[in-house]
Amino acid sequence: MRSSLIRQILILAALALIPGLGEAVYFRQKISWQSSIPPSELVTVDQARTWAGNVIWVDARPDEEFARDHVPGALSLNEDRWNELLPQFLAVWSPGKKVVVCNASREVARRLRKEAQLSDVFVLEGGWEAWFKKR
Amino acid sequence: MVQEEMSKTPNAQLSTSNVQLSGNASTSNVKNRTSNILRRIVDLIVAGVFIYAGAIKALDPVQFASDIDNYKIFPWPISVALAFYLPWLEIFCGFALVGRLLYRGALSILMALVLMFTLVTIAAKVRGLDITCGCFGHASQNWSFPSHLATNLGILAALVVLWVSNRSPKPL
Repeated sequence: MRSSLIRQILILAALALIPGLGEAVYFRQKISWQSSIPPSELVTVDQARTWAGNVIWVDARPDEEFARDHVPGALSLNEDRWNELLPQFLAVWSPGKKVVVCNASREVARRLRKEAQLSDVFVLEGGWEAWFKKR
Repeated sequence: MVQEEMSKTPNAQLSTSNVQLSGNASTSNVKNRTSNILRRIVDLIVAGVFIYAGAIKALDPVQFASDIDNYKIFPWPISVALAFYLPWLEIFCGFALVGRLLYRGALSILMALVLMFTLVTIAAKVRGLDITCGCFGHASQNWSFPSHLATNLGILAALVVLWVSNRSPKPL
């Protein structure tokens, strides 16, 4: 009885593995196993600099860290004061402008895409530290 | 005449008890049939829930991986692996309930999954995480914690009922 149950569980677990592996192969370009941010959403410091005037830098770090130092011209937009800061960001944003979130977290970029319906939102690879090293 | 009556009486008693027995048997048959139909309805509802939930997540594993990652329990590569695997496990278990093949195995897996989802949801709430529920894709994005918990417990209760009421499982 018990061995039959275990056998049933193992068969189902093995069966589910087959399409699961197939899907992992199919979606290999859309999801990274190393980072929760897919490669298509990442941008390097050098690449972002080439966008020059067509980019809005968003600093998603807490207020204290933003006050200490930040990318020149960057806007502060963190989750602690999201409702207060988002309108200020939207007042500056215009269609066609790319948004670079200089923080290693994907969350602010995700919320900008989802809640503000923006499409050209990127996360800076290596976060603020990467920009700091290259300034 | 008296002898005739005496000789008839045991037969009359026998036939009365036979009628009672067949009456009891038919009542019991009706009860069994009703409970089988009810069990089958619950089977199909539960199976439908898991097939639907699995299909929605299988269509968007990237979002589901992100939803799992929000719980801050597993490292990212494990979240990705679970996002590819769990939806299909739910789908196969759902179909196993529909076809009554590997039935108890499917029930065991689904009970374990729902129990795990419930514990993880409670743990997230205790840790103060504001989690987007990914159970049913976009349909469950705005679920509150109580409705999330109530749904999970309702499904778990249905699974337990099915497990208890299916004491003579159909072999593989």
